[in-house]
Amino acid sequence: MPPSDSAADSLTSTWAIVEVGIDKVLAKNLEEGLTPALYMKIYTAIYQFCTAARPTTQVGHPATSRGAQLLGAELYNKLIEYLEKHLENIKLDAWQFVDEGLIKYYIRTWNRYTTGARYLNHIFEYLNRHWVKRERDEGRRTVYDVNTLCLVKWRSVFFDSIQSNLMTAVLKLIEKQRNGESIENTDIKNVVGSFVNLGLDEHDSRKVSLSVYKTYFEGPFISSTEAYYKDESKRFVAENSVVDYMKKADVRLQEEAGRVQLYLHQSTEKILMRTCETVLIYDHADLLRDEFQNLLETNRQEDLKRMFTLLSRIQNGLEPLRGKFETHVRKQGLAAIEKLANEAGENLDPKAYADALLEVYRQYAHLVQYAFNDDTDFVKSLDNACREFINRNKVCSQSSSKSPELLAKYSDALLKKSGKSAEDSDLDAKLNDIMTIFKYIDDKDVFQKFYTRMLSRRLVHGTSTSDDAESSMISKLKEACGHEYTSKLQRMFQDMNVSQDLQIQFREAMAKNLDPSELTIDFTILVLGTNFWPLTPINTTFNLPDELVKTFERFQSFYQSKHSGRKLTWLWQLSKGELKANYPKSSNKVGYTFQVSTFQMAILLPYNNGDTYSYEQLQQITALNKEYLVGSLSILVKARVLLLEGSGEVGDPGTKYTLNMDFKNKKIRVNLNVPLRSEQKQETETTHKTIEEDRKMLMQSAIVRIMKARKVLKHVVLVQETIAQIKSRFTPKVPEIKKCIDFLIEKEYLERIDGDRYSYLA
Amino acid sequence: MVKLTSSDGESFDVEKDVAERSVLIKNMIEDVGDASTEIPIPNVTANVLKKVLEWCEHHKSDPIAANEDDTDARKKSTDIDEWDQKFMQVDQEMLFEIILAANYLDIKALLEVGCKTVANMIKGKTPEEIRRTFNIQNDFTPEEEAQIRRENEWAEDR
Repeated sequence: MPPSDSAADSLTSTWAIVEVGIDKVLAKNLEEGLTPALYMKIYTAIYQFCTAARPTTQVGHPATSRGAQLLGAELYNKLIEYLEKHLENIKLDAWQFVDEGLIKYYIRTWNRYTTGARYLNHIFEYLNRHWVKRERDEGRRTVYDVNTLCLVKWRSVFFDSIQSNLMTAVLKLIEKQRNGESIENTDIKNVVGSFVNLGLDEHDSRKVSLSVYKTYFEGPFISSTEAYYKDESKRFVAENSVVDYMKKADVRLQEEAGRVQLYLHQSTEKILMRTCETVLIYDHADLLRDEFQNLLETNRQEDLKRMFTLLSRIQNGLEPLRGKFETHVRKQGLAAIEKLANEAGENLDPKAYADALLEVYRQYAHLVQYAFNDDTDFVKSLDNACREFINRNKVCSQSSSKSPELLAKYSDALLKKSGKSAEDSDLDAKLNDIMTIFKYIDDKDVFQKFYTRMLSRRLVHGTSTSDDAESSMISKLKEACGHEYTSKLQRMFQDMNVSQDLQIQFREAMAKNLDPSELTIDFTILVLGTNFWPLTPINTTFNLPDELVKTFERFQSFYQSKHSGRKLTWLWQLSKGELKANYPKSSNKVGYTFQVSTFQMAILLPYNNGDTYSYEQLQQITALNKEYLVGSLSILVKARVLLLEGSGEVGDPGTKYTLNMDFKNKKIRVNLNVPLRSEQKQETETTHKTIEEDRKMLMQSAIVRIMKARKVLKHVVLVQETIAQIKSRFTPKVPEIKKCIDFLIEKEYLERIDGDRYSYLA
Repeated sequence: MVKLTSSDGESFDVEKDVAERSVLIKNMIEDVGDASTEIPIPNVTANVLKKVLEWCEHHKSDPIAANEDDTDARKKSTDIDEWDQKFMQVDQEMLFEIILAANYLDIKALLEVGCKTVANMIKGKTPEEIRRTFNIQNDFTPEEEAQIRRENEWAEDR
């Protein structure tokens, strides 16, 4: 190209070439006409315009020169002029369209225009690369690369005047869809895409900002959504049940979440969901919550689940429900136990009691898991409620330790041998049930006491259903309460094993030293550590029958030779034996075997020498006090082994007892060793009594421990710390703690200083 | 294959990959969507185009720098790799033609090599030597030259 003398001429001739190309790219059909030849022609024309050497006045004044001249401003302005005219035409055209027609028109022209803009950007690349770059490098922010320029002009010439109409159309379309009509999702998606792309970052054209989308799309969209659902929910609630409303709200929330995926920008999700949650849930939250009690009472799990899910979406939505739930569960639990207590009266079956507690627990534990998604606060409410109705129900009204007592009795019933012993897996499940309740028991020390007592009975009497079940239960308790809680129980098992070995050693020693004719009595023994077993000797004298004295002495000396210095205390009330009775006429050749207590044995053995003894004679022979003698006698009389002569009650002075030679029984083995009723009741009482004593000890030792560490402490703090230390076993009462403190002051462990403080005395 | 035609009417068949070293050609093929018709290169003569295409062929599998920042280091040094040095051993007129063509065709790497070559020709020379190298007439008056010297004093090595 020959260098042109006149800049104006050069511009005119260049623009003539360029305009043909732009026309093709923006106005006409793209497919026809833009050939490589034409493309190269336009590019080259622009190149030549920009690189043409033109005389400038600055030559010869190097001080003000900024280096090589870059040309292009005129061309750039021409392009702006062209774009503005082109967009004015698009704008004029647009006025004939409304609603969906306008949306279609907008998308069509937008797609056409942006494709064209991309072409233009390439064709004008030389201008972009040099003139535009230089202008921007020098800080002129209103100069853009050609593609950006196209978007800027679209926005200022066309978009600004059309966007309000366009959004009206878009919102109408979305409302249609909300009303159940089907619409073209891609139309809206395209509009959204256009809004997003128009968000130009003034400082960096390569970055996209969402400002246009946020202002012109998201804003109106959110307000229209809010208005729509405000209106809809108000109408729906007026005409339908709360349950139906929750279903509706649930569906609507899902739809709106889906809408984001369908055609909105991802960034809208948060504010859209928050808006919907406010209008659909928060604004009706009280209405929903009012229905909660009703749903609980009718056990509508699905609806409760829905309510939970909805209210969990808003802040503090669930808070009031937790209290209601807790109250409801507590009431249900208390009611169930009251019903049971009224039906059963005095003879409350431990199993029925445990089952009643479990049923309530299970029902609501399932609800928490299913409907409340194991929400930690609901779990806590459930726990609180269970703790209440398990520890402070009607049955516990006289004493809070009734629950652990009954629970321990139920576990005894399960672990004791009986006709209908449960399957192993079944048994384990039941033991787990016990642990479920156990967790909520406040007075765990009471359970421990009763459990220990009953375990010792099972072991001493050999009535345990299986060692496996016993040790399984103990490990469960250990897991729940720690090693210390079960250490005594474990020691008891240990003693049982040691006794077995001892037994064998004793037998071997006797067989070695004695003639078999001297070993006529079969003898077994358990040697149990006094500290670990809840066994105490009873308050009576007792003459061991002559028949047993030898064996007794042999073991005594055998044991002392092995462990000198240890004292053996014989618990006669727990001892038992078997007697062979050949005298009754009905006994045939076999003879009956009587299973008797050692006391009964002492009563019966004299009958080898005579048929009738008076009460006073028996008393003299056995040396038993009245209580035990009468108790043992009564059973023998009742079973008609002995006959009470004449009138009078068993134990009356002067009454006589004759051996019943006509004794008859269906069984060959007759069990006469049944526990005395008075004994049972007394046991419960003494258990409770020992619990009180143990508690005092526990509190005292806790107080001393705390004071030893802290030296000086305020009264209130001491009480608090004591409670904290003991809470896992039982909940101490403040007056009890005060008593213990006073006791310790008396014993000079502590002293009172200036009114409300205590000091530790070493 | 793409057919390129130089301003003086000579045609070159080159692989698309090679031709697309030129961003201009790459964009055009992308936009017009038709690589079968011949592409005129109205601003480059056959002997220069041949030279440029030779360079493109050699560098056809170079990674294309994604943006300007990561070529910064390369831009700052005047090091030129051995092949390019040899390639640039041409007379001055051809050197300038190659630079112009690289600018026109938008082949950044070639433009850089060309400019570096020129820069190396200037490096370490006095103004008088530079004038001689490029055959430039000194059109400054002595006053003007003295003034420039004073203004640029701060930049002198000392």
